[in-house]
Amino acid sequence: MAHIPDGILSAPVLIGGGVVAAAGVALGLRRLDDRMIPRTAILAAAFFAGSLVAVPVGPASVHLLLAALMGIMLGTATFPAVLVALLLQALLFGFGGLTTLGINTVNIALPGVVFGMMLGPVIRATERPALRFAAGALAGALAVLGTGGLVALSLWMSSSDYTPVASVVIATYLPLALGEAFVTAAIVSFLARVQPDALRPVAP
Amino acid sequence: MIRLLLPFLLALAFAGPAQAHKLKVFATVEAGEAKGYAFFIGGGRAAQTPWLARDPAGARIAEGTTDAEGCFAFPAPQPPADVTITVDTREGHVASATLPASRFGGVSVATVAETGLPPAGPAPGAAPLVTDARLAALVEAAVQRQVEPLMEQIEQLDSRLRLADVMSGIFLILGLAGIGLWARGRRR
Repeated sequence: MAHIPDGILSAPVLIGGGVVAAAGVALGLRRLDDRMIPRTAILAAAFFAGSLVAVPVGPASVHLLLAALMGIMLGTATFPAVLVALLLQALLFGFGGLTTLGINTVNIALPGVVFGMMLGPVIRATERPALRFAAGALAGALAVLGTGGLVALSLWMSSSDYTPVASVVIATYLPLALGEAFVTAAIVSFLARVQPDALRPVAP
Repeated sequence: MIRLLLPFLLALAFAGPAQAHKLKVFATVEAGEAKGYAFFIGGGRAAQTPWLARDPAGARIAEGTTDAEGCFAFPAPQPPADVTITVDTREGHVASATLPASRFGGVSVATVAETGLPPAGPAPGAAPLVTDARLAALVEAAVQRQVEPLMEQIEQLDSRLRLADVMSGIFLILGLAGIGLWARGRRR
């Protein structure tokens, strides 16, 4: 799903993905300070382990991405976190590939960062737990659908052979979006209650 | 922060080896027929999924849709040629497996396998039923039958997630964080 293997995408897509990923990683690395490094590492480790646990859904199998959670907690530091985790998954388990590292990083991290930026302020500022839960769920669901859209787009731009069929993509990504929405909302609500600072990528 | 996420992380880490996420194709040759199935490592079969078999030049040999068990089968190409079977779940998972031409053996396997095993003893008054070529084909079919489960097992073992790998990945990430903190501390 989000781990596109080697040898499927065309060179322009791979290079474009690599350039965007490099820009994102550079932005994210500038953000890393003593406060952010441990948090980035822990979320990268959670993403690394979490996306190894797959659940069969319909004709495919899906796994948590945690991209929205990373976007809310890490901001642009999501890019280096995803890159490192994907690199290790490719090297240790052969998931995805080395040439597709850039495009896979973008596909997973970019929606998380974008929706984290859009919904993060609401989640941090609101006093109402219900609204925070809803915003967290929305960020989680939208980030997954964004990843699905980007994966489909990168396959479509590369070759007509492997263009995903919209109905199958929706059938597999919709349950994942619901699951991810719940997980993101639950963790965000929990953190807001016990450690609101963890939701701020930038020190107040 | 660390105390909050650690239990969650550990839970994921230990659940990890049970399930994984990658499409693979298992293919073999049996009785003149290429057959196999597409499976997700640790996560079930790819059912109702289009598959396509091509020769090295890229021409289509056979295509179809996997059954409820994720299986596919098609007659061996004549003359024998390398065949690449590609399974595409239509949502971004694509995997393929290649059967080399040597696995297709020759015509005799199919014809002999259909006639079944020869009678136990020599039939009285009849010419010897089992010629060298037929015997070779029979042996090949029998060996194939015995070896197939092993090949499936090897394929699955090969792609199993190991707890040690998951743990080393996690600690590599934590180690990177330590290096980052150390480098920042030195610069000050």
